[in-house]
Amino acid sequence: MIEIVGLAKKFSVENPKKLSEQERKDPRLKGRFFHSVIDVSLTCQQGEVLGLLGPNGAGKTTTLRMLSTALKPDSGSITINGTDVLVNPVMARKKIGFLSGSTGLYGRLSGRENIEYFAKLHGMTPAQIKQKIEALAELLDMHTFLDRRSENFSTGMKQKVAIARAVVHDPEVVILDEPTTGLDIMATQTVLRFIRGLKEQGTPVIFSTHHLDEVSELCDRVAVIDQGLSKFDGELNAFTQLADGSLHQAFLTSINTERQ
Amino acid sequence: MWLVFFKEIKELLRDRKTLFFMIALPILIFPLIFGGMAYFTAQAFEKAESKVLKYALVNDQYAPELTNDLAASDKFERVDIANSADYTALINSDTVDFVMVLPENYSADILQSGQLTITLHLNDAGLNMVRNRVNSLVQKYADAYQTSAFSELGVTSVQQDALLTPIVLEQISTADQRESWGEKIGGMLPYLLFILCFQGAMFPATDIGAGEKERGTLETLLISPIDRTKIVLGKFLTIACAGATTALITVVSMAVWGLVLSRGFAMQFVADFMSQIGIIDFVLMFLMLIPLVAIFAAVLLSISIYARSFKEAQSYMGPLVIFVIIPVMVALMPGVELKGGWAWVPLTNVALAMKELVKGTMDYFQLIAIFGSTALIAALLLGFCVYWFKQEKVLFR
Repeated sequence: MIEIVGLAKKFSVENPKKLSEQERKDPRLKGRFFHSVIDVSLTCQQGEVLGLLGPNGAGKTTTLRMLSTALKPDSGSITINGTDVLVNPVMARKKIGFLSGSTGLYGRLSGRENIEYFAKLHGMTPAQIKQKIEALAELLDMHTFLDRRSENFSTGMKQKVAIARAVVHDPEVVILDEPTTGLDIMATQTVLRFIRGLKEQGTPVIFSTHHLDEVSELCDRVAVIDQGLSKFDGELNAFTQLADGSLHQAFLTSINTERQ
Repeated sequence: MWLVFFKEIKELLRDRKTLFFMIALPILIFPLIFGGMAYFTAQAFEKAESKVLKYALVNDQYAPELTNDLAASDKFERVDIANSADYTALINSDTVDFVMVLPENYSADILQSGQLTITLHLNDAGLNMVRNRVNSLVQKYADAYQTSAFSELGVTSVQQDALLTPIVLEQISTADQRESWGEKIGGMLPYLLFILCFQGAMFPATDIGAGEKERGTLETLLISPIDRTKIVLGKFLTIACAGATTALITVVSMAVWGLVLSRGFAMQFVADFMSQIGIIDFVLMFLMLIPLVAIFAAVLLSISIYARSFKEAQSYMGPLVIFVIIPVMVALMPGVELKGGWAWVPLTNVALAMKELVKGTMDYFQLIAIFGSTALIAALLLGFCVYWFKQEKVLFR
């Protein structure tokens, strides 16, 4: 299970004059610091899929980057299956599989080499790697292109390899940052099918998205962030009941309510 | 660390663009530059030599023999002009290539007439052989007049030599062949090595840092269970290796093509020169190159990580070449030696040391100091690079 409590992160602003009009009006800008995430808390149990919602610039990506150890939070705590991510980031990284919509591949390596590289970084043995890639190729139907250079892959092929790369080390938790943004319908389906597969295996998944149909289709829980603050964290049922079953309305309601 | 290193090298070797700049260019560029220059120069000279020159003569009545010689030659074509003509206008309008004005005192008896001055009007800005070609006709008469004047005065041949050149200043250099040629060639070697090392390191550096950001692979790498220091070191080694390889290939290609092109007339000289520079000196030169390449790699990697895209990285690196060229240019200047303050100027001291090594006049103790100080700078820069790579504001700009 994943538990995030009171997460906060600020970035120093090099040159306040360069900010856009909208950014300057943001109440999170205080002096030379932009408080991107102020107070975010959420939990996700074993086998649950959590949808992270929020407008653009709400702090979703920053939150997920802190969760994946790419960024260090200023305060708050993150625990994954009992491991404190902040105390032991390298240990935590072995438990996490991370993928975003903009994740790329090394174009001059083949699909297989891309996956192998990260598997080796995770300390897997050659035999383990071979076996795991075989299984993933079967699962994601990658046999036809796995040994070609990835620079010529279609978006769908790239996303399949990226998924395989993200889960090659059998992570205990999978984090996806807008995994379907910019993908075509086929590639989106691949991602959604993959999330469903993880859910069946009992692996908790946290993913941020702007597509509410994905939320209703896959999620057990919903968390809403706006202007760096948690606005909602609970079961999907509780979320829909905010506004008579309409997800869009529920989303707007949750943002407009004062903090619980 | 080695995992990162080998993967980067593998990727590098699969990139045609990088390979072209690292290997093909240094191998092909020297024969192209040297051969091309030799070819075009020879062509231009041949053209100037064989071109039929249009000329005009003024006062030709004073020197009928010379006038006849000019008229007889099929390389000259006479154009008649008025005595009061404007020579500059005629030459600018290409009516004539040159105007030759003979003196009124022209005579075979120079003891009576005194020195004869023939004036040539021509546009001397471009490559031309007018003076040489006219001189080859005139010299014959000059020699004949001189000889007859000397014999008329009754001057012996010994006296003639003494009269023509009363004192001869003979110069014997105590520097051996290696030192004098080392001074000339030794300055150019670091210049080429520095630039090529830098260039060779630049392309992989852009790819490895900014390229990774642009393709969206950096984030995944950062959350892999590997220490960020190891990622930096792996990348750093790749860039350094690429730079050193480029330099090495260049030097080897330079040596090989130098031998091939100089076959015939100067091969013995080149071979002698090379054999005088000991293996140890060559090894020392490459040792000096190691901290240098490390400096380049650390700086380039820092820039590359900072940049958001390929384009941004390249625009930062471009002007940096100046900072590599200037210290080497300083070392090429006459009077700058590996003494006093210059021995402490980074990059310049390495260039000077390489020159000394080629010349064979190196003070080996000084080499330790230079190597040490350069290595120290490299270590500091690498330290900065590692620190830089851990900054969130750099990675997630």
